Amino acid sequence: MSELRKLTFGYLGLLALLALTVGSSFVALGGFNVALNLAIAAAKAILIAMLFMHLTGTLPRLAVAAAGLWLVILFGLTLIGR
Amino acid sequence: MSGTESVAFDTPQRERRADTFAMWVFIGSEAMLFGAIFLVFLVAHIDFGPAFAAASKRLSLPLGTLNTAVLITSSFTMALAHMLALHRRWRPTIWALVATAALGVCFLIVKGIEYGKEISEGLAPLLGLPFRYAGPDPVHAEFFFGLYFTMTSLHALHLIGGIVVIAGMIALWRPSGPANRLRRVVAVGLYWHFVDIIWVFMFPVLYLINR
Repeated sequence: MSELRKLTFGYLGLLALLALTVGSSFVALGGFNVALNLAIAAAKAILIAMLFMHLTGTLPRLAVAAAGLWLVILFGLTLIGR
Repeated sequence: MSGTESVAFDTPQRERRADTFAMWVFIGSEAMLFGAIFLVFLVAHIDFGPAFAAASKRLSLPLGTLNTAVLITSSFTMALAHMLALHRRWRPTIWALVATAALGVCFLIVKGIEYGKEISEGLAPLLGLPFRYAGPDPVHAEFFFGLYFTMTSLHALHLIGGIVVIAGMIALWRPSGPANRLRRVVAVGLYWHFVDIIWVFMFPVLYLINR
């Protein structure tokens, strides 16, 4: 079952990313640590959304885009005023 | 008998698509809730960076890492349940769901151990418990731990909700038809993976970013 293989690779990838994010926290990279940790978290989220949640089709993507737009407004307007 | 739960839909496929869209809209609304809390944390972190960094080091990184692995594994077993349900292999589907809920319970137990450790160290500024923090800037460290307990307990409540729904689904397994079983597995799966994604962001923000 190739579907099973895909899920297993995704799972192993997520664990590898977890090891990478924890490992990177022991290396001082200056301000780069924060960016790296958040980038790895985003990569994990995309992996989960595409592989486990089957984020396909117009309507689900529309819902995600709408949520993303409002989050950008929420974060953007808050941080721009500081 | 078309196999749909609601008379509003002609076919099970159509009902499933409506379900999936509704779940994604619900997930979007949940993202607003957690997004607002993450924003509060971000703004506080910008203002009180050193105090937050020192306070964050008091959290248990091994237990946090373990819990992240447990939750990722539970998402994997949930994805297996979905795959098995699509192939109508119902018995393994139930086992995958049981494994998912059990891993959710494991997460809560580890979280409980962590909470117990933090309370015994006087790091829990809640329910009138004494807050004894020896590090620098205890006022803003208290703010950090307040946010930590708010964020993780809200996440834990969502996980408890997911476990209850899985248990209910298994209890109602026998009387429900194949189409309804698949619909429910898909819907609860989307929710479960979303709660996992929230933790995927919470873990580095709370445990790692300040190292």
